Amino acid sequence: MGKVKIKRKSTLIDMTAMSDVTVLLLTFFMLTSTFLQKEPVTVITPSSVSEVKVPTANLAQILISPEGKVFISVTGEADPTVADGEWGTEPIRKEILRKAVAEYNRLHPNKKVELTEKDLDTFSKLNMFGVPFQALPAFLRMSQTEQDKVISDMSRADVGIPVDDNKDLERPNEFQIWMRAIYSSGNDNLQSTMKKGEGIAVKADHNTPYSTVQNVLDNLQTLKMNRFSLMTALKTEQD
Amino acid sequence: MAQIEQSDKGKKKKGAQKKMSIHVDFTPMVDMNMLLITFFMLCTTMIKSQTLQITLPTNEKVEQQDMNKAKESEAITLIVTTERNEKGDIRRDDNGNPLNIVYYYEGQPQLVDDNNDGVPESSNIQQEKFLGNEGTVQRGIRKILHDRNKQVLAKIDDLKVKWRAKEFSPKSEINDSIYQAKAKEVRNDSTLTRPVVIIKATPEASWESLIGALDEMQINQISRYQIDNINGTDSLMIQTYLQTH
Repeated sequence: MGKVKIKRKSTLIDMTAMSDVTVLLLTFFMLTSTFLQKEPVTVITPSSVSEVKVPTANLAQILISPEGKVFISVTGEADPTVADGEWGTEPIRKEILRKAVAEYNRLHPNKKVELTEKDLDTFSKLNMFGVPFQALPAFLRMSQTEQDKVISDMSRADVGIPVDDNKDLERPNEFQIWMRAIYSSGNDNLQSTMKKGEGIAVKADHNTPYSTVQNVLDNLQTLKMNRFSLMTALKTEQD
Repeated sequence: MAQIEQSDKGKKKKGAQKKMSIHVDFTPMVDMNMLLITFFMLCTTMIKSQTLQITLPTNEKVEQQDMNKAKESEAITLIVTTERNEKGDIRRDDNGNPLNIVYYYEGQPQLVDDNNDGVPESSNIQQEKFLGNEGTVQRGIRKILHDRNKQVLAKIDDLKVKWRAKEFSPKSEINDSIYQAKAKEVRNDSTLTRPVVIIKATPEASWESLIGALDEMQINQISRYQIDNINGTDSLMIQTYLQTH
């Protein structure tokens, strides 16, 4: 009787090839990724067949939550070496805040808002802002987790930039103050993209009633920013 | 692969080094890489948002004679609306699609009030839906707009055939840009009958339905359209329509 010899096999699996593949994948993701920006509300944009891409630089994005709260995000020059790094995202945000607060204080001499240099720094690192001027100093002095909590709570009255149907540019509402400050921030490239309509993007949820969005569109019209773009997702349907 | 083998060919000599193999276990490396990949996959946006560019008319008062009045025969007014329940949520049909409705009328609004009681009986308003294409056949509001812009669309289709065959230029970028320029020329060709579309939305219309209407302009290559505010006549016409249907 021949004895069947069971050969002992090693259970070690060679992981080198696997490692190679994962490193390749990792490289791919690292090179192609653009990070998701933090936004107070997640909105699902409606889809369209338009294939114009959202610019990544020199853009003022207006986000409208389904409750009608308005948030703004500003991105500066993509290449920080343009004009000696003067108009990178962070410097331009600081400049906008300075201009907007100065304008607000001029219009409301009794309710002046005072900000420190540190507040400006905190503001320049925020991706999206949306609190009334009066609540701004308190908001900027919160910790980051608290800020996130406050800004994503849509039931609060002090969240969202106040927008009313003001047509008088001598007494602009807070949204109009912000948009004007962004327009006249001093960066010519941002100004020209805003003029062409590429620099202003309106983003709203597909279920939001039109009356809510119309309010913002009317305000832009009052500001003579008649050209702007609407953010949509790509429709896969054949035309 | 992950091992280094040292073998001495030839005869073993006394005092020669022992045959040894060094295994490097790559499993933790793979684990770590997988974690990193997961992180990057979750934190990235692959799909970049698209934009629809629009231009609104200025708010400034325009002198009556300066106004670029649309020819009555060319004008078509779309009024988009969305059915909502009492809570303000969008009502959906059996397939889960939102009930976006388009009312439209051609030319001037016409309300017929035969018995002069102030309540009109009928109007020239009609109802349609966003249906898109079925195969190559247009349906719903797209068909209406398509039929009104036939001349332009026929010319654009010709251009598309040429563009696909790369007749403008063998280089694809030049081919694209020539095609775009020619298509724009056709869209703005005043010798063709082209519609002027006025888009209006009721307050409860969803943002999606308005974008849908703007999207139909792109699909049907309509160059002249504008967004306007809804007025009393329009609401009255919709009311009349709902009462009679």
